[in-house]
Amino acid sequence: MKRFLIPGLFVIGLGAGIGWQLLPAPLPQAWTSQEAALIQSLSLSQLPALSPDLSNAVADNESAAKLGQLLYFDSRISGNGEVACATCHQPARYFTDGLSLAAGTALGPRHTPSLVGLSHSPWFYWDGRKDSQWAQALAPIEAGHEHNLDRLQVVRLIAKDRDYSERYAALFGELPSIPATPQSASPLGDAEATANWQRLSQAQQNDINQVFANLGKTIAAYQRKLLPGHSRFDEYADQVSSESGISGNDALTREEIAGLKLFIGDGQCISCHNGPLFTNFEFHNTGVLAVAGQLPPMGRYDGIRLAREDEFNCLSDYSDAEPEECIELRFAKDDNELVGAQKTPSLRNITETAPYMHGGQIADLTAVMQHYNDAPTSMLSHNEAKPLGLRAVQLSQLVAFMQTLTAPLNVDPKWLAAPSQ
Amino acid sequence: MIYRIRAAVVPLAILFMLPVSQLWAQEANFRIQTSKGSTLEVFTQLDPVVINRIHSWELVLIGADNSPLTGAEISVIGGMPDHDHGLPTLPIVTRETSPGHYLLQGVRFHMPGRWQLTVTISSPQGDETGLLDFEL
Repeated sequence: MKRFLIPGLFVIGLGAGIGWQLLPAPLPQAWTSQEAALIQSLSLSQLPALSPDLSNAVADNESAAKLGQLLYFDSRISGNGEVACATCHQPARYFTDGLSLAAGTALGPRHTPSLVGLSHSPWFYWDGRKDSQWAQALAPIEAGHEHNLDRLQVVRLIAKDRDYSERYAALFGELPSIPATPQSASPLGDAEATANWQRLSQAQQNDINQVFANLGKTIAAYQRKLLPGHSRFDEYADQVSSESGISGNDALTREEIAGLKLFIGDGQCISCHNGPLFTNFEFHNTGVLAVAGQLPPMGRYDGIRLAREDEFNCLSDYSDAEPEECIELRFAKDDNELVGAQKTPSLRNITETAPYMHGGQIADLTAVMQHYNDAPTSMLSHNEAKPLGLRAVQLSQLVAFMQTLTAPLNVDPKWLAAPSQ
Repeated sequence: MIYRIRAAVVPLAILFMLPVSQLWAQEANFRIQTSKGSTLEVFTQLDPVVINRIHSWELVLIGADNSPLTGAEISVIGGMPDHDHGLPTLPIVTRETSPGHYLLQGVRFHMPGRWQLTVTISSPQGDETGLLDFEL
């Protein structure tokens, strides 16, 4: 018998270990009042109406949104005539592209974030280097790896297109006269474009910048239409109270409910992924490896400096806000806590927007959960997250919960495709 | 030494001095004693305070002699002791709106949980500090 003792103990130990990893813990009968309040706080029913964008006078103008939609889907606004905003932010993919790194006219350094619900954010780009959606919309047009056009060419395209120029005039007044030469000019372009820009008069530069900014404002007006829809989670959350049983309705499975419990509890996900959009729109260093071949990015530490320097920020001449209304920019912080910090993405529709992280470094949600469970040392500064010590079954439950956040968009279908003029 | 005041009523006249919405708290959200025995009352623009929304606070300072503490330089710093990080913004007292009443702008909290803020006050009365400790 003795010869079976050690193998027997080994098998029992192995079984216990596997069981520990894979067997779910029983759910309690009811949520505590604190848990119920947290769950309710995540419901889309709690999402406030969009705040006005005081820097954008046409943010909620329907005609502006229509012009913005036309521009959004127009691939003529690119150096090779093939790239539109919709090339990377595809409606059918919840306004992402399914790629690790965005591919415009060339491969970019960052993963394409979803635009759904993004109008609620005070900051744009993964590092928050833009403080309005209209200022953000301008930058890709001139980025060499995205649209690879320049602002003079964009303004000239509007002036030459009768429909565009009429729509523009109805919103902002007649277009200013655009110089016939040079062909291209921008303060951000290549050597020739920047030299051309310097040769323009101050008045010409201001005219071009103003039209360019106004076009960004129409694209932002369009993007404000892109809101998430009510998901199975919301159906569950809207019926939760501390009096109701934990599985009080059929919207979620027990596995998904177990994932929700972890999400608001031991998983600590709700620390950053909070509120009805499952994001605080703030910046955190969570120890994600740099994209292969790239240096670890400085993240928000650089982003806030760039936002302050931005020629199109809330305090600029092209903003419609009074300086005292630029609350976010005036009271933004910049300190060492922000080194390597990237913006928390929304988890709405997260199952449909793989891969994940600012460089698309993590392929699927199972690997994302493993990343947060391990909380590896950050390449730059420190990882705010700490190892969770969750079991394999618990990571699966969290992934299951993510499935409950996907729903058709709460968007009139007319905004989800290229308009027919 | 942390108190939540439940029944302090603020004269409406104070509210009219501020660029307010109707959401401003009409009762103090917090009332604490500072290290020198002054009273600091906090009235928040969002009542109740919720996460992820930038807003202003009114700080009302009453000296130990029961008169408004005027001409004070005030700074507010803080964070989450359980998460080892600070506030997401840099709130600043931008002006004294009336004697002893100060407008703190740029306040935002970005996580549910326990927050601690330290208010540092420099006035003719000397330097003093107060600690706000609360859950969101």
